[in-house]
Amino acid sequence: MKALVLRAAALAAAAFVIVGPLTSLAVWSLAERWTYPSPWPQRFGLRYWARVLGGDFLEPLRTGLGIAVLVTVLALLLAIPLGYALARLRFPGRTLVLLLFLLPQAFPQLPVFASATREFYRFGLAGTVSGVVLVHLVGALVFAVWTMTAVFRSIAPELEEAAHDLGASTTRAFASVSLPLALPGIVASAVLVFLYSLDEFTGTLLVGAPFVSTLPVYMYTASVGYELQIASVTALVLMVPGAVLLLLLERFLKSEYLVLLGRL
Amino acid sequence: MLAAVFVWPVATSVTASFTREGAFSLANYETVWRLYTRDVVYTLGVATAATLLTFAATVPVCGWLRVRAFGPVEFLLKVPLFVPFVVVGHALRVFLSPYAPGLSASWGGLALALAWKHAGLAALLLLGAFRGVDEHYLEAARNVGASTARLTRDILLPMAAPAVGVSAVLIFSSMLASFSIPLMMSRGSGPQMLMIDVYYRFGQHGDFATASALGVVAYLMALGAAFVYLRRLTA
Repeated sequence: MKALVLRAAALAAAAFVIVGPLTSLAVWSLAERWTYPSPWPQRFGLRYWARVLGGDFLEPLRTGLGIAVLVTVLALLLAIPLGYALARLRFPGRTLVLLLFLLPQAFPQLPVFASATREFYRFGLAGTVSGVVLVHLVGALVFAVWTMTAVFRSIAPELEEAAHDLGASTTRAFASVSLPLALPGIVASAVLVFLYSLDEFTGTLLVGAPFVSTLPVYMYTASVGYELQIASVTALVLMVPGAVLLLLLERFLKSEYLVLLGRL
Repeated sequence: MLAAVFVWPVATSVTASFTREGAFSLANYETVWRLYTRDVVYTLGVATAATLLTFAATVPVCGWLRVRAFGPVEFLLKVPLFVPFVVVGHALRVFLSPYAPGLSASWGGLALALAWKHAGLAALLLLGAFRGVDEHYLEAARNVGASTARLTRDILLPMAAPAVGVSAVLIFSSMLASFSIPLMMSRGSGPQMLMIDVYYRFGQHGDFATASALGVVAYLMALGAAFVYLRRLTA
């Protein structure tokens, strides 16, 4: 009995702390009129949802999705061979390369992005989609290289050796043995990178301004203009991919990947 | 690629921080010292408070979850991991003070928001570490009458201490460098988080040199923390 009460209390407390702030987003997104000192919005309605979904944010949504697809493809193209090399080959400076791919995790990103933006101006990359893709690739590669290294490490090298013994070339052994085995890991890595790029804010704000806007930047602009409803609607939309991923991970994936999400 | 977009910018910003009017100079650091000492202290203070808050909330819950598993609470604890930083900033802002900036614009509100976002990561790391503790120790203690709180304090926490330490360092350095959450909590005046200073110094004053010097101060603070983290990771 006492245990049951304790469980209920713990659940209620956790629900309030975790769900509370998210609920207030929902309330604000529906509040057509909410002025001080009313404890509750005076008028509810879907006006802001209609306004946002009706066109305002389609542009940043499309830009963001396009950038995320590009970043995911490029990051995987680079990370699959690199991850494979880091997992299988012993070459001088291997640890150094791995550490290099950890640094952006440990470093404050903003000053780095500010500096990158300044360099980008010289090459006409600031304010362009290519510039934003480049800046997203820094974070994306960290995710992708580490997951791909872990994935290839978990595949026994003996399998490839067996393929060699049967006469397969190195490329053939990689393409028909290791690559298919690594597919679930590649998909996981792609999902992580895609989500990272979609949610990335700091780099996009600095490099993309003022021409390239994605959903997080759109949301920030709305919030600065005190359009709290617009920002709340966008915030709820931004949570959708994360929610989908949470449910997917609960079902299919190992929790090691979760740690990387702490940096999203 | 990484060299071009990461290492090179770090290098140029470090160089720029020591240069004024084309010559080597410490003038930028002098500016930082003059204008931003208070913000450095404020940033360290908020990050410390938020880290303590995160662990004060997650350690007992994770200890409890380790001893008697309870899926729904564990699921809820993971939720913040999947909510983007910008969204957390905005959500906590409208949650703490729906209208004009009140609690959300104070250091306490900021620490709460940072703790909320990082609770997911902390819970994940803590549960992993606690689950690595051998069940036999827990049973032995329970046989002599230890409660869940005692088990957490006297067995789980000491035995998982290295992992808990690494998690704390990781979370602390992430909080030092937090930008989107403080930006979304929209604090107009008073001391600021260091990254907000870097942003305004660079974006609005166009003063890259001082922004870089502020950045270097932040690198150094993170480096202190990262040093511990990397040593554990490679050990």
